[in-house]
Amino acid sequence: MDEKKDIYFKIYRYNPEVDQKPFYDDFKISVERGVTILRAINYIKDHVDSSLSYRFYCQAGICGSCAMRVNGVSKLACTTQVWDELENCKEKDMITIEPLNNFEIIRDMIVDYKPVINKLEKYISWVTPKIKQADLGKKENIISEAEFKVIDAATDCILCAACFSECSMMSANKEYISPLALLKAFRMVKDSRDTRSDERMAVLNQDHGMWDCTHCYRCVEACVKNIPIMDAIQGVRNEAFIRKQNGTEGYKHANAFAQDIRKTGRLKEATIAIRTKGIFGAAGMLPFAIRMTLRGRMPSMFVKTIPGIKHVRNIFRKIK
Amino acid sequence: MKYAYYLSCINESLSKEAEYSLNIWTKDLGIELVPLEEGTCCGGSNLDFVNPDQFLAINGRNIALAEKLGLDMITSCNTCLLGLRHAKHILDTQPEKKEMINAVLKEEGLEYTGKSEVKHLLWVLVDDYGLDKLAAKVTNPLTDLKFAPFYGCHILRPSPLMGGYDNPNNPHTLEDLIRALGGNVVEYNSKNKCCGFHTLIVAEQESVKLSGDAVVDAIDAKADYIVTPCPLCHMSLDAYQKDGLSTKNRQGKMPIIHLPQIVGMALGYTEKQLGIDKHVVV
Amino acid sequence: MKPYDIIIVGAGGAGMYAAMEALQTNPGLNIAVVSKVYPTRSHTSAAQGGVNAALANRHKDDTVELHIFDTIKGSDYLADQDAATLLCEMAPYVVREMENLGAPFSRLEDGTIAQRPFGGAQKYRCCYCADRTGHTLLQTLFEQCMRKGVKFFSEYYLLSIEHDGKTAQGIVVMNMQTGKIEAMPAKTVIIATGGYAKMYWQKSSNAAGSTGDGIAAALRAGLALEDMEFVQFHPTGLRKSGLLISEGARGEGGYLVNNKGERFMSRYAPEKMELGPRDLVSRSIEIEINEGRGFDSDAGQYMHLDLRHLGGALIKERLPQIRQLAIDFEGVDPIDEPIPIRPTAHYSMGGIDADINGATAIPGIYAAGECSCISVHGANRLGGNSLLEVLVFGKQAGHHAAVTASSLNPGAISTASVEKIQKEIEGYSHHDRTERYSDLREDLGKTLGANAGIYRTRKKLEKGVADIMEIKERFKKVHVKDASAVFNTNLFQVFELKNMIHLAETVARGALAREESRGSHSREDFPTRDDKKWHKHSIFHMNEAGEVIVSDKPVTMGKHELQERTY
Ligand SMILES: Cc1cc2nc3c(=O)[nH]c(=O)nc-3n(C[C@H](O)[C@H](O)[C@H](O)COP(=O)(O)OP(=O)(O)OC[C@H]3O[C@@H](n4cnc5c(N)ncnc54)[C@H](O)[C@@H]3O)c2cc1C
Ligand code: SF4
Ligand code: SF4
Ligand code: FES
Repeated sequence: MDEKKDIYFKIYRYNPEVDQKPFYDDFKISVERGVTILRAINYIKDHVDSSLSYRFYCQAGICGSCAMRVNGVSKLACTTQVWDELENCKEKDMITIEPLNNFEIIRDMIVDYKPVINKLEKYISWVTPKIKQADLGKKENIISEAEFKVIDAATDCILCAACFSECSMMSANKEYISPLALLKAFRMVKDSRDTRSDERMAVLNQDHGMWDCTHCYRCVEACVKNIPIMDAIQGVRNEAFIRKQNGTEGYKHANAFAQDIRKTGRLKEATIAIRTKGIFGAAGMLPFAIRMTLRGRMPSMFVKTIPGIKHVRNIFRKIK
Repeated sequence: MKYAYYLSCINESLSKEAEYSLNIWTKDLGIELVPLEEGTCCGGSNLDFVNPDQFLAINGRNIALAEKLGLDMITSCNTCLLGLRHAKHILDTQPEKKEMINAVLKEEGLEYTGKSEVKHLLWVLVDDYGLDKLAAKVTNPLTDLKFAPFYGCHILRPSPLMGGYDNPNNPHTLEDLIRALGGNVVEYNSKNKCCGFHTLIVAEQESVKLSGDAVVDAIDAKADYIVTPCPLCHMSLDAYQKDGLSTKNRQGKMPIIHLPQIVGMALGYTEKQLGIDKHVVV
Repeated sequence: MKPYDIIIVGAGGAGMYAAMEALQTNPGLNIAVVSKVYPTRSHTSAAQGGVNAALANRHKDDTVELHIFDTIKGSDYLADQDAATLLCEMAPYVVREMENLGAPFSRLEDGTIAQRPFGGAQKYRCCYCADRTGHTLLQTLFEQCMRKGVKFFSEYYLLSIEHDGKTAQGIVVMNMQTGKIEAMPAKTVIIATGGYAKMYWQKSSNAAGSTGDGIAAALRAGLALEDMEFVQFHPTGLRKSGLLISEGARGEGGYLVNNKGERFMSRYAPEKMELGPRDLVSRSIEIEINEGRGFDSDAGQYMHLDLRHLGGALIKERLPQIRQLAIDFEGVDPIDEPIPIRPTAHYSMGGIDADINGATAIPGIYAAGECSCISVHGANRLGGNSLLEVLVFGKQAGHHAAVTASSLNPGAISTASVEKIQKEIEGYSHHDRTERYSDLREDLGKTLGANAGIYRTRKKLEKGVADIMEIKERFKKVHVKDASAVFNTNLFQVFELKNMIHLAETVARGALAREESRGSHSREDFPTRDDKKWHKHSIFHMNEAGEVIVSDKPVTMGKHELQERTY
């Protein structure tokens, strides 16, 4: 028979009907190798405390229901091995189970998922086909494998929201688009069958859209399907450059980098805010400038050009 | 030990104190840094989407400059680390991209081959130099001080690009270094979180909220300093500390120090020599 | 609540295609889709292999006719031929429509939809999106439903289907988040709640919620069920979870090994060995286990699927998904250790008796997808035909419900119906109840696996029926401990248990009655197909007393005569 270990589960509990505030329950069960977190908490639910509440469905890592935080990190309970988690425990053999971050809690590990759907709707996360309704189903579009490769990874997303839970911007502002919606938007923008990319790009360019991502890569690290989400975020931003949608602060900010490198090789930090936001917009940055000046740290308006700048300019000329 | 030293824009301008702190003690350890004067900005985690190929070319060029010297390259900025390693990864795995950039680099007498490593200063201290050796050099052990380590994102994530130095969910190299310098480490929740720097200009409110979270966390954990290996994190946590705290309706002060500064402290240099008095929060 | 024109229960492939099609037919209709999980969680997401359609992209000589023949032959001649014909005729249309709407089908070099071979098909006919076809089709359907503004009631649980004996009246549901029971009157109702293979519990590849809820509700509402005894088993499910290790592992040369270290398939299929047909391999594993040559574990007896001799490089390159599954769900890396496997219940052919429009005997009530029995799969479904069924008959039901809705009166649901359900639910929490739901569920799965599983005999099935009747009795004492109204998963699991018990009785009684072997139903005591006596569908009703009554109905034939099924 299989070797077993006694393992403690420290599980987040909250039922708004009866609990003033959340608390943690401890359960000790004996678990053999090969058991997933989901099976372990199912065991607790079935044999110890039937009120323990969480979602699960496929048990196979494909439906996206069972995302929760295990030892602080958002992942799928059904694809995570209990024994593997032992090395991530803060206290020996004590695994913590908590709901996803950045959501309202309905009960225990069950969170209110509606914001995900709302964001998908807001960013037009579907293909609006070129083909007229009456002609649907008559023939297939001819699409090259190469075009397909671009969106292939993005179509892996199971909307589990692990990335949503780990996202830095999301924690700062719930209005933020979220990594999963950025990923879906990218997948749609790059699909030649779709006809509404102009509108979608317009929404993406709005506040709390694609320019707010802070490049923290927490979503990438968390993605349960190993999707390179950042490629998608950069992909939609790049699309703004391809389309020359140069009206946003995000565009201007990023563009300033390219301009500076070409001109001097280095970033001209003193003026980047002004170039992004305009004189008036940048007024908000004044306290910062004053603080830095007081410490004698305000950088010069003139940046020394690097030796060999002509080679750099040559690169910008030759590579488009 | 000799490395090509990549000059990051921020250390050349807003955070000069980080750079001269480093230059103060490298000779003490017998580390020689050859500054890459001809190197350019890494693109600041922006050029990669403005123009992905130009991003590859300028960073391929940066690394090729180190290759020409026959040296591995180090940087003391997280975002530069990511930009350089990201470009390196693409160039090393996609031969057609390498060919594309080499066609242009040739004109300057450069070639990108992939032989030079790109490392962070922290990794060099922990791995190449060795913490035991470093501990032996300590003249002023930081025994009475409590440090909250703040890694910053681009030294941890995306982990496949980060050479396996740390588990991004549970990193330890910075803690190991602090301990080697005699200091104490405080446990707090923010060590692998984001400082918000990259949206400081586009979404300032959100950005300062993130740095505020970390600062409050460190204050509550009773740290004396936050120490960070990234000058950009330093900027967010230090220069915007007041704004961050006010989003949380909190007061207090949390001095933030650069990685080269904490090493300098342990090697016996004064706060003034290390430019710690140049920080906004002192 | 304002009566709906159409309520669709189920947001899997069938439910969402029905919604899309209904709005297509009549955009002015007031439609609701009710689902116990968020739409993209539905079990359609688990389908990996693909969906069949005779597009002839790969084999230029493939035809709809061949597809029809393969389907009928695969069904062991129990499929209704009008249904199978419609299924295959509409296949190219629905697959291309899904493609037009954004489904990311893999491509051939010429940019057309790629096709691969699949069990029981003479041609390369299976269209796929890598190894996640169901997932991408489900996502695409959800995207299109968002586009059309379909109104979803996610996390609403179907409790009963209401009709007045003449026409549909609507459904009663529980809002899972608040615990409130609500009547949802409607002119028409489409049931699309998926299959029931989860009743085998740990011995099933299905989602936790593939518990046949809609089918059981239909049974209780007096509708007829059909061919419930036909459940398809897959030979290589993982030991602990029942999850599927696809044929690919054996295709690449994996060995099946017993506790004596023997490649035991040499006894049963000396030539094809591990590559024998699914049902034969499943049965062989059963025999080995029964004769004491299995490995022991807490999760039950199992066999080894050994890939080690293939070498790490090949495993990593060609079987990465399978390797990941074994690592994630068993903690076993097949490069170093054999994978523990055993047969697993995989697909349920039976369901709500419906015609090729999805219509049931009660006007206004429709069924589509795995919960229906139309019947296109007969005694055995072909891989890739179930996703197809979901699309084709989702579309059919959606269209016909939309047309019918305009001729029916708004539904009405009496408060008495709601109160009756309310009372039953309150009863569950009564403190003199002592039975634990998880014990009953476990016992049900065990007896089904042992007595109504792969190998069936009269003796076993009689035992199975008796066990199920006992479990049905014990269920009267089942206790819901969780007293909360908010997302009471304990209660939902008890609802599901009740549904599984009711349907288990139909499976076992149907299997006991059918004294022949056909397709997935194999009786050791009647090892051959008996067309004279049994070339007919089984029909199940529930009488007033809650007993299951078995009868039959003829198979609709067409141009394909009965033939022996050999491969
Ligand atoms: C592992 C696996 C692999 C497969 N591979 C293939 C393949 O390669 N090719 C193929 O053709 N087929 C395959 N199948 C079969 C195929 O996936 C299913 O038959 C098909 O997806 C069923 O779709 P459906 O819409 O009928 O039901 P489902 O997708 O199961 O949807 C059922 C819906 O009903 C809802 N529901 C259920 N009960 C209730 C209730 N009480 N109240 C409210 N809502 C309820 C659920 O929430 C869900 O939305 C596979 C099946 C499995 C298990
Ligand atoms: S990289 Fe952007 S989207 Fe991803 S977690 Fe960070 S802020 Fe969120
Ligand atoms: S991107 Fe990854 S983590 Fe985020 S929802 Fe999709 S699958 Fe989950
Ligand atoms: S239960 Fe479906 S992903 Fe875990």
